[in-house]
Amino acid sequence: MDNKMEVKILEIMNTVLDNRTKKKLTVLSPEMHLRNDIGFDSLDLAELTVRIEAEYDIDIFEDGIVNTVSEIFEKLNSK
Amino acid sequence: MNVLITGISKGLGLKTSESLLRNGWTVYGISRSKTEELNELLLQYPDKLKWLQYDLGDAEKIRQIIFKDWIGLDTPIHGLVNNAAMAYDDIVTNLNLDSLEKMYRVNVFTPMMLTKFVIRQMLLHHTKGSIVHISSISVHTGYKGLSMYASTKGALEAFSKNTAREWGEVGVRSNCLVAGFMETEMSSSLSDNQKNRIYQRTSLKKPVDVNSVAETIKFLLSDKANSITGQNIHVDNGTI
Repeated sequence: MDNKMEVKILEIMNTVLDNRTKKKLTVLSPEMHLRNDIGFDSLDLAELTVRIEAEYDIDIFEDGIVNTVSEIFEKLNSK
Repeated sequence: MNVLITGISKGLGLKTSESLLRNGWTVYGISRSKTEELNELLLQYPDKLKWLQYDLGDAEKIRQIIFKDWIGLDTPIHGLVNNAAMAYDDIVTNLNLDSLEKMYRVNVFTPMMLTKFVIRQMLLHHTKGSIVHISSISVHTGYKGLSMYASTKGALEAFSKNTAREWGEVGVRSNCLVAGFMETEMSSSLSDNQKNRIYQRTSLKKPVDVNSVAETIKFLLSDKANSITGQNIHVDNGTI
């Protein structure tokens, strides 16, 4: 996993969590589930998608559901 | 306030743009053609009125052309007015599928795609935005020859109500302005006799004032309407 990208994604996720007054993350690991472990709901995931897209110009939900942190990195690295 | 409006070259779109510009808001206006009236407005508000020529029959390139290249993802959007529409009027037994599909693209699919990207932009900038779809009294009162057109507006009303429920939590509002018949190009294909019969079905017995519709759109976009969402607001001279 690209460390710079990991730092950026963690920052973006914390922005989303903070906006919804949810508990922020201190670390990010690939197996983390976006809903069950991090606590994102569908509206949070929408905001996450938009913020990632603004940064990397990739819509991670465009062709199917993304469930875990590692799947986000796969999408970002595959383009 | 930055507001995106479709169909600004004439009629209601032009009047609404004028009204918003007078308020000091910035208008991102889209239309297929540039009319003389639109040109005058562009000269009057060179900084506040931004214009893009775009055919709303093309729902594919909306993100790239409208949101990325023109408005820019860095610009917050506070309001969307889905005003552009086409009228394909005929009796049902003459229904032509190509004309129907074309009308659905302009009246339904493109407004839905614009809504998608406007909400995404609102999420990005944390904007409590307001979406106004222009609907028609034909959804609520039947008129001969308007079933196909009315069905597109009915689709928008259902879309708006559910959008309101889905996104209210983050402060995004969505309403429909249900307009009665105005003296605009949209109703120009009707004969005087047809128009008079339509006006006789209203309480005020005359065409709906375009300015009254435009002012109501402005109200729905503004913070004064911050408790109004998921509604169909009728500006129809009392068609009951």
